[in-house]
Amino acid sequence: MIAVNIVLGFAIVLVILGFYCISVKRNMIKMIIGIEVMTNGAILSLVSFASYKNGFVDPLVHSLAVMAIAVGGCIAAVALSLVVHAYKHYKTLDIRELRRLRW
Amino acid sequence: MFTPVLDSLIILTVLAPLVGVAAQRIKAVKFLGAYTSVGFLFAILNLYWLYGEVHASKVLVFRLTALPGSCLVVDMLSIFMGLVFLLLGLMASIFSIRYMEHDTGLPEYFTLVLAMITGMVGTVFAGDFFTLFLFWELMCISSYVLVAFRKQTWEPVEAGFKYLIMSVSGSVLILMAIALLYGMTGTVNLAVLSGRLGGVELTPAAERWVYFALVLVITGFGIKASIVPLHTWLPDAHPAAPTPISALLSGVVIKTGVYALCRISFLIFPLIHFHWGILIGVISVLTMTVGNIMALLQNDIKRILAYSSISQIGYILIGVAVGTQLGLTGAILHVFNHALMKGAAFLCAGAFIHAVGTRMLDELSGIGRRMPLSTIALCITFFGLIGIPPLSGFISKLILFEAASAGMVWLTIAGIINTAISTGYYLRFINIIIRHESSERVTVAKEAPVTMLAPIFIMALLIILFGIWVQPILGFAQEAAASLLNLKAYISAVGGGL
Repeated sequence: MIAVNIVLGFAIVLVILGFYCISVKRNMIKMIIGIEVMTNGAILSLVSFASYKNGFVDPLVHSLAVMAIAVGGCIAAVALSLVVHAYKHYKTLDIRELRRLRW
Repeated sequence: MFTPVLDSLIILTVLAPLVGVAAQRIKAVKFLGAYTSVGFLFAILNLYWLYGEVHASKVLVFRLTALPGSCLVVDMLSIFMGLVFLLLGLMASIFSIRYMEHDTGLPEYFTLVLAMITGMVGTVFAGDFFTLFLFWELMCISSYVLVAFRKQTWEPVEAGFKYLIMSVSGSVLILMAIALLYGMTGTVNLAVLSGRLGGVELTPAAERWVYFALVLVITGFGIKASIVPLHTWLPDAHPAAPTPISALLSGVVIKTGVYALCRISFLIFPLIHFHWGILIGVISVLTMTVGNIMALLQNDIKRILAYSSISQIGYILIGVAVGTQLGLTGAILHVFNHALMKGAAFLCAGAFIHAVGTRMLDELSGIGRRMPLSTIALCITFFGLIGIPPLSGFISKLILFEAASAGMVWLTIAGIINTAISTGYYLRFINIIIRHESSERVTVAKEAPVTMLAPIFIMALLIILFGIWVQPILGFAQEAAASLLNLKAYISAVGGGL
């Protein structure tokens, strides 16, 4: 069984990487991949705590993890449909072009 | 299964697309708005029955035998917030009948409104993190789609994308906080977590992780509650959404973030051990000030109201920062009052936009003379938001400032200064609207239709009523605040069968 510390460390690294993707990348689809990576990091931390003993799995927390994966899928679907509509209006996928809403 | 309120809301949400398609077949789409409104009325009746039950035994617990450990816990605060959500949902859906009549996709619209309110009511009834997270995400995803509802124009799409990215970051932080709290105690049930973390002496290493989880909770729910460094999605999303959805977003969705923040903080991180009062106090002053000052610079009527919502969240956080029963009474009462006042203000703004077609304040000059009834209601709501005496906003602001003066006087001073700043933009709005000389666009304006005026007037009358006859709603808010602080009753009601 891998120790909880290592898996938790990897999960926090995933969340930080996902957050970096959202902050720095210009392409809107790369930002959506960033939120998917962040979500996976949070779910991995949840799963790492729920299954740290050999052969033992907490059913409620694993159910929460599976539902969180399903929710992440819904969010990706909504976000991608928004990107499709944004492309129709702005003719580009560059997030820096979406700056008509200022002060 | 669940409580009758949540059961009826879920069944209504699932049946709404079928009713919508049937209504489209017989060319009577307005029936769908009536279905939604009657559904909310039915849910309010169920809530009244549930209120009677909770009044007898302070905390009610509903368990699902399929998922061990997960439960719905209903106490006075949950009933209070549920009442606010359902009341505003009812008003917004009555208003939507005429306002959205030229839009396509109305079955999806009403289904999403029902789903959003179901998610909100489920969040306030949740007794453990599993239920809370699921209903929270239901509310969030419905609100993303509703903000970007009129996708033919660029503004809702841009605002919706920005709102989505920021709000999903918040949800991920909430999930990390759930994971950390689960890892430290071995449970996701709120009451059992409170028992295991609340009174125990922690080693310094463990205490650092608990503080980390607290910061994640404040940040994650704070993005949704639009506290200041994290508020930048709100001034774009609230104007871009269709007006009844703006009323719902400003009136109730941001309050769900404040509720979840309060519930988790007061249950799991009790104020005496973890001194987060000063942090929330600083955030509150920042929120009030930035919201008010930015609102002075705006020309778009819905953007003024959006920044005003940010500053009112600051006032609510004064009560949360103080943490006494009086402070929480003021905060909870201000949640109700602000939902009524801001909901009515957004619906009045929607009546103006529906009549004239523009959102710019300068182009709306003089519209008050042509739409007198909407303007009277708008003036009532603005005087309530400023906090002028015989209206309900005065009562809640007075309680908030009085509670803050008993320990954190700087919050009271900041609150009073911010009230003075806020009169700047509210009175400027009224001044421009009631001028004698109208701009050219305004000359075609006619008074709003009855279906749009009725919810505005009901809410304005409630604002006046609860300013004069304070005792019912004040007593309710006091019981809600007492139930939030009463950890023993909460834990013993749940812990009995766990």
